[in-house]
Amino acid sequence: MSSGRGRVPAVRSLRPRARTAWDALIRVAVGDRLGLVVFLGTIVWSFLTWRIGFFITDNYTLANTLVAMADGHLTVADAVYGSLEAPGMSIHDGQLYGRNYGQVAFALPFLWALRGATSVADFGLVFTSLWSLLLLALAVQVGRLVDRRSALAVAGAGAVVSAFAVNVHLAEPLSETLVPVAALQLSTVVAAAFLASTGYRLFARLHGRRVGASVGVAVVAATPVGFWTSIPKRHVLSVAVLLGVAYAFYRSRDATATDALLSATGFRALAYALVGLLTWVHAGEAFIVFLALVLADLPTAPANDRRSLAVVGAAFAVSMLPFFLTNALVSGDPLRPPRMLSRFGEFSNEATFGSSSGSRLGSGGELLFGRLPRWFAGPILELSGRLSLLFDPFVRGTRVLTERPADVYRTLIRAGYIDSIGSHDDNQAINLTVLESAPIVAGVLEAVGLAGSRLRSTRGVDRSVRARLGGVVSSFTDSPGRATDAFVALSAVLFFLAYIPRLPIHAQVTVRYLLPLYAVGVYGLARQPSVRRVLSDHGRAVVWTYLGGVMLGAQLFFVVVTVGTFGRGGALQLHAVLGIAVGGVFALLAAGSAVDDRFDRATAVALGLSAAMGTNLLVLSGVVYFQYGPYALPMVDWLADLSASA
Amino acid sequence: MDRPRVLVSLTAALVLTVTVLSGPAIGLADLTQPRYDMSGLGEGDATVDRVEAPSTVTLERGYQSESYYLVVPPARAYFASLSGKPTVAYGVEIPELGYSRSTTHFLSGGETGWVEFSIAEDTLRNRTVSADRYDGQLTLILRASGEKTVVHNGSVSVEVSG
Repeated sequence: MSSGRGRVPAVRSLRPRARTAWDALIRVAVGDRLGLVVFLGTIVWSFLTWRIGFFITDNYTLANTLVAMADGHLTVADAVYGSLEAPGMSIHDGQLYGRNYGQVAFALPFLWALRGATSVADFGLVFTSLWSLLLLALAVQVGRLVDRRSALAVAGAGAVVSAFAVNVHLAEPLSETLVPVAALQLSTVVAAAFLASTGYRLFARLHGRRVGASVGVAVVAATPVGFWTSIPKRHVLSVAVLLGVAYAFYRSRDATATDALLSATGFRALAYALVGLLTWVHAGEAFIVFLALVLADLPTAPANDRRSLAVVGAAFAVSMLPFFLTNALVSGDPLRPPRMLSRFGEFSNEATFGSSSGSRLGSGGELLFGRLPRWFAGPILELSGRLSLLFDPFVRGTRVLTERPADVYRTLIRAGYIDSIGSHDDNQAINLTVLESAPIVAGVLEAVGLAGSRLRSTRGVDRSVRARLGGVVSSFTDSPGRATDAFVALSAVLFFLAYIPRLPIHAQVTVRYLLPLYAVGVYGLARQPSVRRVLSDHGRAVVWTYLGGVMLGAQLFFVVVTVGTFGRGGALQLHAVLGIAVGGVFALLAAGSAVDDRFDRATAVALGLSAAMGTNLLVLSGVVYFQYGPYALPMVDWLADLSASA
Repeated sequence: MDRPRVLVSLTAALVLTVTVLSGPAIGLADLTQPRYDMSGLGEGDATVDRVEAPSTVTLERGYQSESYYLVVPPARAYFASLSGKPTVAYGVEIPELGYSRSTTHFLSGGETGWVEFSIAEDTLRNRTVSADRYDGQLTLILRASGEKTVVHNGSVSVEVSG
């Protein structure tokens, strides 16, 4: 009796403590409740088109690497999935290695969790249950957010129970050999959720929570970022890190927040640490972000004293330890990632920062320096080889702009059928351009209109060039937002330059190499004052046009594609052509809005429609055009079966 | 405890309970069944009275693509009797292109009268298609009580358009 009475206060004091810990976790991971809603919403949304399986051949490489890593080694001995002769496998000293070890390591906890779950639950029901619980959590959080807890609890419980019943009724057995690949997919879905909530946090601080939530939703629902959420490639991770760096970068300059958990230098160190972690996933892309960060950070930092640089440098060095360690274990050279080893598979389409150019330079150099003592020539060759390896892609990219403008056009604006690429896909034109796959980013063209109107308003003022230049520089150092713009814009340009020499290329569908550009496009859109004005004055028009465009549009697409003779290539081209049309109108209207607010209502409608076009592409390619495995949710699997027989 | 919280907790408990009770550790019920019962396929009896098959099939150029899509109109068969689970394979063959394809349909007992069969659309690479028309063959093959019966085998004209 007495012991029982003694326990009660202990339990009582535990609950507030758990509450505080939970609140702190929410704050660190997703910002606040709305951030949590964006996070949960992204996962719930991504589950809808999640097909468990392999979309692209180098998914085999990652999945086999994950199985090997779960068994405790970096070498890949067995092809659990597909063949070891898949793109991305490397060979060193007779041992086979995978790549993107950072990404695979990130997927490990998910693998353990799924293996744990399958010991108590039928694998065919694991995702149904998980999704139901997440949907319930989403309803509860939305209820608290809008202060209508009862209504949302009733609606959420009703929706979850009925969806759960339908899913259980339609559930089919799922082979447990798919657990590792599902773990990889779950990890990128969660990365996408962080991507969306980080976009929300950045813009909530820049322009308020409403704009923040719109950005978070738009990135994953209206751009091809949503296409790649459940396809385990590095791209979503890279974009998530890029936005994380942008957020940390902004916070390192934003003195207005009095409740910050980290100091300004702390956030600056965090930005570099995130880049350091990205090296473990893809060193080349980490270098792009690093370069943009250094170029934007050093000139605009509030202070570059020895102490803060030491903190930043230390954080960066520590964050790269996993990368160095993995490289050292694989090749013996901490600076040589698996991507720079010789390839095992017969081909790879991802050689942008790969070994080919580097080794060529190296062997050329060896002829020249061959007679010098090795200890002397070695480091010089190594340094020059590595430097040219690092900067060569940007140089080549700049050359492409002048030498092959047609390829730039076919990457950004309109591709259509390209014989050299279509021949890989049964002569179908299934590779869309940036504009075709995300008409919403066309709106950034309005920055041009804005610049025009700005130019007009400052024309009368007579100022010397030097004063103007000084004004521009100080506007970047004084405004955290402008400095972040510089970082984001630089990253976009560098990503573009690094990949454009290889584009257009097959197996892209939505120019996945340039996935960061979509996030940057939405960023650029939300940074325009006139777009935010459209959003706040005509938000209802945007939302209703969007919903109408998705509800009606998706069905219309399906009917037209099913009734007519389109095939997969033709269907995607239909999306492409309509996307260009809608995106073009949106760009014009948005530019008009930048000059005159009488365009705002029309711009709102065009914005909603272009976002809907992006969503329609995601939904239809997820459920109809690209079916390659059992769906995570049985009800979607059933729907996809139905659509296939239509 | 307030009502919304009870409702939410009950829902979560329901989901978890069903999942764990049907899981491998307890295994009270197997809730994941293949959606299509494949057992006993091709067994049973069927009598086909008449067959109507199309006289032309088309190879159409896809929208904004260099590939061709083979479009085969459906064929119909009149079943006077049907029992068990026979299957019907509707096939098309274009010998000149070295092309053949068929789609198998599952029938179920009691389904007498006209039954329609389709062939799923398929993509052909453009380099393979050079003439304006080809000769083709359409077949309907019934599999019942372990035997295969050709219920239709007729020539068809393959028209290339676009």
